[in-house]
Amino acid sequence: MNFKRRLLLSVVAMASLGALPSMSAAADTIAIITPSHDNPFFKAEADGAAAKAAELGYEVLVLVHDDDANKQSELFDSAIAAGVKAIILDNAGADASVAAVQKAKDAGIPSFLIDREITATGVAVSQIVSNNYQGAQLGAEEFVKLMGEKGEYAELLGKESDTNAGIRSSGYHDVIDQYPDLKLVAQQTANWSQTEAYTVMESMLQANPGLKGVISGNDTMAMGAYAALEAAGRTDVVVVGFDGSNDVRDSILKGGIKATVLQPAYAQAQMAVAQADAFIKTGATGVDEKQLMDCALINADNAAKLETFALAQ
Amino acid sequence: MPRISAALCLVTALALPACKIVKTAADSDAVAVDPIAALAEQTFASQLLPLIAEKSSDVASLRTAIASGLDAAGKTHGNRGAGEGAAWNFAVKGSGKVIAANLTSRARKAELDSDGDGAADLTLQLGPVIKGTALRDVAPFYDFGDFRDQIEFAELARAINDKLSAALVVPEGDLVGKTLEFTGVVPLKSAKDAWVVTAVSVTVAP
Repeated sequence: MNFKRRLLLSVVAMASLGALPSMSAAADTIAIITPSHDNPFFKAEADGAAAKAAELGYEVLVLVHDDDANKQSELFDSAIAAGVKAIILDNAGADASVAAVQKAKDAGIPSFLIDREITATGVAVSQIVSNNYQGAQLGAEEFVKLMGEKGEYAELLGKESDTNAGIRSSGYHDVIDQYPDLKLVAQQTANWSQTEAYTVMESMLQANPGLKGVISGNDTMAMGAYAALEAAGRTDVVVVGFDGSNDVRDSILKGGIKATVLQPAYAQAQMAVAQADAFIKTGATGVDEKQLMDCALINADNAAKLETFALAQ
Repeated sequence: MPRISAALCLVTALALPACKIVKTAADSDAVAVDPIAALAEQTFASQLLPLIAEKSSDVASLRTAIASGLDAAGKTHGNRGAGEGAAWNFAVKGSGKVIAANLTSRARKAELDSDGDGAADLTLQLGPVIKGTALRDVAPFYDFGDFRDQIEFAELARAINDKLSAALVVPEGDLVGKTLEFTGVVPLKSAKDAWVVTAVSVTVAP
């Protein structure tokens, strides 16, 4: 909490400094705005971006919007007022974020999006996203194999306002629905939340005692689901997640959750900062606005090589 | 209008887990002009299969080329998928003795010994479920930038895989011990990757 308060204070400080002409003499600042760092995925993004920015000689302003589009809009106002040179953003809603990014653009501040797309092009300079569909297909293929191509399964969906929730679910079903003996018996959102997933899993299990597998839209929900399964003595249920967090890695290594899909969050954030730097210095990134990064399957074979959303070669 | 209502329904379907897509007359019309399915239809037999046949290297020479550098081999013989970290895709032809096969899975496969050392060194995908995007990504004429988003681009890969799945004739009976001749595509992210070939044709050698 203290940490967040300090950030807020720094926003205020930056905002008042921004009004002074002497500001331009100070080091240039890049704002890094993501969802809450409670999810280690977003922390890895922020850390990756901050490390790269420091390496390139920038100050950073690290902020979290908690998936609240209104709060995000306020943070954009603060960042604009602070006179940041660029904004690295993992956004709070594909539709709702367009206006905020446009607002920054109108103020002459370029935005570089990571992880999640927005529903407009030409507003942000870059949108670097994991190939969530490709990743979901990888996860689903592993899930199908673990399930022996048959049995009842449940799906935990992500937050509806996040495009990745829908994309991952589509990717999962693109693969799983080709196996007629795999039966979807329950499908519900747990809003990316570990605690919510725990509760949802409990009721899914109660209604479907024959459940053999759970495919989850992200790792935090997979952790919640597995905890509920463990509490119910059902560790035989196959759980597959998405993100490649250290928590799920540890669970895989202990034989708990069976697999996940790594999104290269750390590298992605660094790429965004490198492009922001190029744009600040030359007025162009030299690459397309929309860029994809492939995901990788993580299971017992390679989990040990995973650390903070990066896989050692 | 039909396109818009179809799009809205899709959005709703993604947002609401319980929503079922009910086909209406308008939706059927929209499906009939689905540009992705049409593109797969127009290009699969007339452009993609000829490209794979024309570009295919034999297994041994491709392995040699890759051993001295995947990127260099890729630039000469292959095509790279869209995006950072995407695989190089190589059209390949060859033959090998079947060491093991799984023909009961929905994703059938045969493991082949292509260099005669008695050990399996490549896997052939035999459908009907075809994994991956190798067929799409081997072709330079399918460009991610021409598509609305990753979903549409993924739909193309699936439409192409489905075309192949319907067209691929897999030899009947137990395959173990037989020698198969094949043409297909292998995607590789690193030179050390195991070879999993999406076969576009498979026959038992006489």
